[in-house]
Amino acid sequence: MTEGARPSALSDAELVERCRAGDEQAWGELVERYSRYVYAIISRGFRLGENDAEDVFQDVFTRVYTNLDSLRDSSALRPWIAQLTRRRCLDVLASKGREQPAEEVGGAESGPDLHELDEAFAVREALVSLSEACQEILDRFFARDQSYRTIADELDLPAGTIASRIARCLGKLRAELEETE
Amino acid sequence: MGDDYLDLRLETFLEQLSAAGSAPGGGSAAAVTVAAAARLVEMVASCSHRWDDAGGIVAQAATIAARAAELASTDAVAWEEALAALREAEAGTLDAKGSRLLERKLDAAAAAPLEIASLGADVAALAALACERGDATYRADAAAAAALAAGAARAAAHLVRVNLAVRGSDPRLARALASERSAAELAAGLVESGA
Repeated sequence: MTEGARPSALSDAELVERCRAGDEQAWGELVERYSRYVYAIISRGFRLGENDAEDVFQDVFTRVYTNLDSLRDSSALRPWIAQLTRRRCLDVLASKGREQPAEEVGGAESGPDLHELDEAFAVREALVSLSEACQEILDRFFARDQSYRTIADELDLPAGTIASRIARCLGKLRAELEETE
Repeated sequence: MGDDYLDLRLETFLEQLSAAGSAPGGGSAAAVTVAAAARLVEMVASCSHRWDDAGGIVAQAATIAARAAELASTDAVAWEEALAALREAEAGTLDAKGSRLLERKLDAAAAAPLEIASLGADVAALAALACERGDATYRADAAAAAALAAGAARAAAHLVRVNLAVRGSDPRLARALASERSAAELAAGLVESGA
């Protein structure tokens, strides 16, 4: 990645290096990139209430900011943030007399476990590395529930090619995920 | 009303279909048929080890099957509500506000079959691909999936027409008929080719 690359195009390791160098734009990107992830762990994994969730959220990013230099492996940003978030959630639960995250308390029906959140986040990260055309078509089919006909009409593509295009983009996504594992 | 039909035993679902005057009805049956057709395509792709894109077809078929299954319940709920409003209308107790409500309920009852028809067309498209690129051993299953999807799309388009009580120019009906046509053409191509 080049010196002047947009923060959104940077790998985690590059983003961490820029943050350490005091790049405010990079810090903004880091928060943007991980805010949904942190919030998902807090709210879906541990089911904290709104006020506690807000406190943990603020505290996690404060800790990330102040302790970023202590992160030994820059590419391990995500597990580090996940660990910080879990610890803070457990602190809050312990202070209220609960000791387990919601999915352990309530069983499998309580929602996705933290591993699923990690997977969802990894997919989201890998998606960003695909071409815009692939991101667009996968988003339309899987996130917006659009039919092949609608996708074909709106992207001005032959209707008969949509399923194959989606399949090829999924193949690229899979390769990207395998590469990062 | 509005059960998750995938949680039922097949026999129980069929018994519910035959229960007098209540959901599930034709829309739910069409949705479940689309889901079954999608799962067949998924099976064909899963067994086609030399097909590079098979994994991507499996993922799409599974996604469509899940959407169709959800629509089976959505349709049942919408139809029960429309049916209640229709009974009120038949009893002659509807005022102007009630008439508008009935119209909205019928519109809602047309929305699910419209989506079911669209998913039927998508499954037929996937089945055509599976038939062309998948393992030859399973071509007949792919063609069967297309035929099932086309039948379901036709049934769903019919329900759209009836629920909208329609003028031929309604764009929703045009969309449903386009889905029906697309699925029918694909299925006919596969079945008539002897796949």
